[in-house]
Amino acid sequence: MSTSEGDLLHVVTADDISDGRRKLGTTVIWGSFAILVIVAALQWADANGRADFGFTSWRPTLYAFCLWSVGLCWGQVLRFGEYGKRTLFVLPAALFVGAMVVFPLIFGVGIALSDWNLSSPDGRQFNGTDNIVEMWNDPFYWNALKNMVWYVLAILPEYAIAFGLAVLLNAQIRARKFFRVAFLLPLMLSPVAVSWMIGKSMLEVRFGPIARFFRSLGVEDVAFFSSPEMARFMIMAMDAWTFIPFMMIMILAGLQAIPKELNEAARVDGAGPWRGFWEVTFPLMLPVSITAILIRIIFKLKLADIVINVTSGGPGGATDTVTSFIFREYRDRSNVGYGTLLAMVYLVIIVIFMTILMKVSERWTRPRT
Amino acid sequence: MKTELYNMVARSRVNRRRLLQGAASAGALAAMGARPAMAEAHGSVRAEILKIPGVGMGSPTDADWQKVGELCLGPTKERVAEGEFAGVELTFMGLNNQNLHNFLFRGFLKPWEAYTGATINWIDLAQADYNARLQQSIATGTVDFDIIEMGAPFEGDTAGRGLLDEMPEWVKEQIEADDLVGYLQPPVGTWDGKTYRITIDGDCHTFAYRTDYFGEGAIGGPKVPSTWQEVNAASLALKGQTDPLTGLDAHGFLDPLKYQWGGFGFYFLADRASSYVKHPDSPAWLFEPETMKPMVNNPGWVQAIQDVFDLVAADAYPADQVNADPNTTAFSQFLAGTGSMLTWWGDVGSNARTSDSSVVGDVVGFGINPGSERRFNAATASWEDEMNEAPVMSYIGWGIYVTSRVSGDDLKRKAAWSAAAHLGGKDLSLWTSAYPSGFQPYRNSHFQYEEWEEAGYDRAFVEDYLGSNVDSYNHPNAAIEPRIPGIFQYYSIAEDELVKGINGQYGSAQETADAIAAAWEDITDQIGRESQIALYKASLGM
Repeated sequence: MSTSEGDLLHVVTADDISDGRRKLGTTVIWGSFAILVIVAALQWADANGRADFGFTSWRPTLYAFCLWSVGLCWGQVLRFGEYGKRTLFVLPAALFVGAMVVFPLIFGVGIALSDWNLSSPDGRQFNGTDNIVEMWNDPFYWNALKNMVWYVLAILPEYAIAFGLAVLLNAQIRARKFFRVAFLLPLMLSPVAVSWMIGKSMLEVRFGPIARFFRSLGVEDVAFFSSPEMARFMIMAMDAWTFIPFMMIMILAGLQAIPKELNEAARVDGAGPWRGFWEVTFPLMLPVSITAILIRIIFKLKLADIVINVTSGGPGGATDTVTSFIFREYRDRSNVGYGTLLAMVYLVIIVIFMTILMKVSERWTRPRT
Repeated sequence: MKTELYNMVARSRVNRRRLLQGAASAGALAAMGARPAMAEAHGSVRAEILKIPGVGMGSPTDADWQKVGELCLGPTKERVAEGEFAGVELTFMGLNNQNLHNFLFRGFLKPWEAYTGATINWIDLAQADYNARLQQSIATGTVDFDIIEMGAPFEGDTAGRGLLDEMPEWVKEQIEADDLVGYLQPPVGTWDGKTYRITIDGDCHTFAYRTDYFGEGAIGGPKVPSTWQEVNAASLALKGQTDPLTGLDAHGFLDPLKYQWGGFGFYFLADRASSYVKHPDSPAWLFEPETMKPMVNNPGWVQAIQDVFDLVAADAYPADQVNADPNTTAFSQFLAGTGSMLTWWGDVGSNARTSDSSVVGDVVGFGINPGSERRFNAATASWEDEMNEAPVMSYIGWGIYVTSRVSGDDLKRKAAWSAAAHLGGKDLSLWTSAYPSGFQPYRNSHFQYEEWEEAGYDRAFVEDYLGSNVDSYNHPNAAIEPRIPGIFQYYSIAEDELVKGINGQYGSAQETADAIAAAWEDITDQIGRESQIALYKASLGM
């Protein structure tokens, strides 16, 4: 019986696969797999000093993996014919993801549970949960996490501003197209450029034009990054300036998708502008808003470039983000094991946080009945 | 030679008066029928290469580098037969900063390749990528280069792990290693008594000050501060006064209170601390050699941190100093007329006269780093009321090293060392110190000011600026950093903790220093205490 039975409409040719061909397919798959296992085992033995086969790199295992991948794909066609060919639409991509995402992730977990300082002559040493304990007792990491809470909370006012701008741009105002493009410009700038042009130049306390402007108004002590609160606020402001247009454009698209009839019907029923917005527009915009906020949160959790360039996390860690801290741990201290653990834990925190947020938002956006 | 210094000289190129002077001299000689004495080959090469392309004749090009390389081939030809390295292929890893470093090496080595028959493949790296690339190569056992341009602080990571090839005796003779300034002599460049480095650069911090702040009747007092005690006193006294040049608020010493600068910011605290803690009887001033116990929380270091805290508490710094990194203090503050005292590398000296944003070119002076009226003796754990100076040799300069990849192949080894020796040759080094190359003078022969003057340089400036360098280089109590694995990790975490202290997150200077010491202990334990002790002692020549 063909495995494609019951799905005949999608089968172009009726396969009549012989037992010999099927066996050949099985042999190709398991044969190439056996080669992969043997080569990997030999390399592992070579790398761990249990034997000396003269391997200089892990390329033989990579080549064996490629061979197995080809064998697996070919074997599908041999064994299942047309149905196997359909598998080929997905299988190479799955193998690629496995090789480029899943394997490095598993490898990364191994590094995260290791004591691996690049300067250590002993190389990588498995140290179990030591890195987790160190993280638990690391005030720099907790400080950065605490800062992230502040940074994420700043998304709420950003959202309000973005919504306001979107409503304005959705209204019949003069030069609407010009303003739409103009408001989008900050999003097109690299955060590194923003850091230097604004953080390091315009806000520079000695020669920056903004500082000079405030001094001309009689403000004595003009310093934008000296106090922890002010520095954090300025980082938030620069980041917001860059990314508010992103939320704005998403919300604008949502606003334009709302049928005008709904607002007209509300007006006919006697709703004023505020009630129309609050009872009709805003609820209809919730799915778009939640999506915009969730994507913005993901962006925000990766915040690092502006911080690294402008304050290096200072003053006294007030503006440090988890990513900028991990950057220092990696770049300046070559502390690969600990840095990887911090990144992994952060990834887990983000996944859990985003999952909860999506579940909760799903409830919010569910139509009220 | 730093690019900026060259540009400065280039601006003051030959003028009409000098041209007439030269013409008159030549005319007089011709009239007398005199013939110049034949200079010895060595001297004539030096004079000849200094004319390529000529001071004030624009930036040197690849053709100029090749000409210099060709003229300096003499020592190579004495030791290598033509075509001796035919078929040998070498890989050279270095920097491409400012289109210098490797760009020059390519030109210098082209005639060497043509003569010897060897071929060189190049790995060019940006400064920001360099450390990570080197560390990863070492850690993953993928050293894929035969010759490397490297800073001395990485000798612990490389020589300490047997990744370098020992320098043959003939190379020492070829490069005339005895000519190196005091602090670049062994133990720098050596490891466990073996020499690995061909020095091609020198580094040190020097003291820059505003001459209009100090002197009779000046706002900073009658004399330039020469100790950290005087520096702090002057900084406090200047508060509330007016800068004589800019008319803005006057300020004293400029500490980069942001400090976080990838580890390089720590040098600026070290400038203050070395005079307190670097005792002439011992080369150790960061760790105790027998235990790797950090010295950074001993009373001397704590005093240095306290000095900074005192100026912070007195509000003696310019506004927003907590966000001033070393780049800011040097280029946005000092050169722009804010503040009156600074420690930095040579760039400030050259930029003072050449940078368009500098306003202090005519009122800047140089000296070695301030000393201290008392010093802490770690051996006796007591203060001594002795004057102490200890200029910091920050980073120790670049060198050329040969990796152990070539050790098993005699011909390849000789080729690699010959190429390296060509780059570190005495005559060629004169050219790199006189023209834009990314390297500072580092040999005693580089400080023969007559050669500079003959080449067209302003002698007064060269003597003042380079004089502060040579005095620091040859100081008997120079503070030389340990070349141990991960040294910049120690500096980096120290910067983080120091900034926390400055921002009031620790109760005192002692607590801040203790936090640094604790972090350093963790790094030592992580890298391996026993190996660190061994490597530290080796780097100190103990």
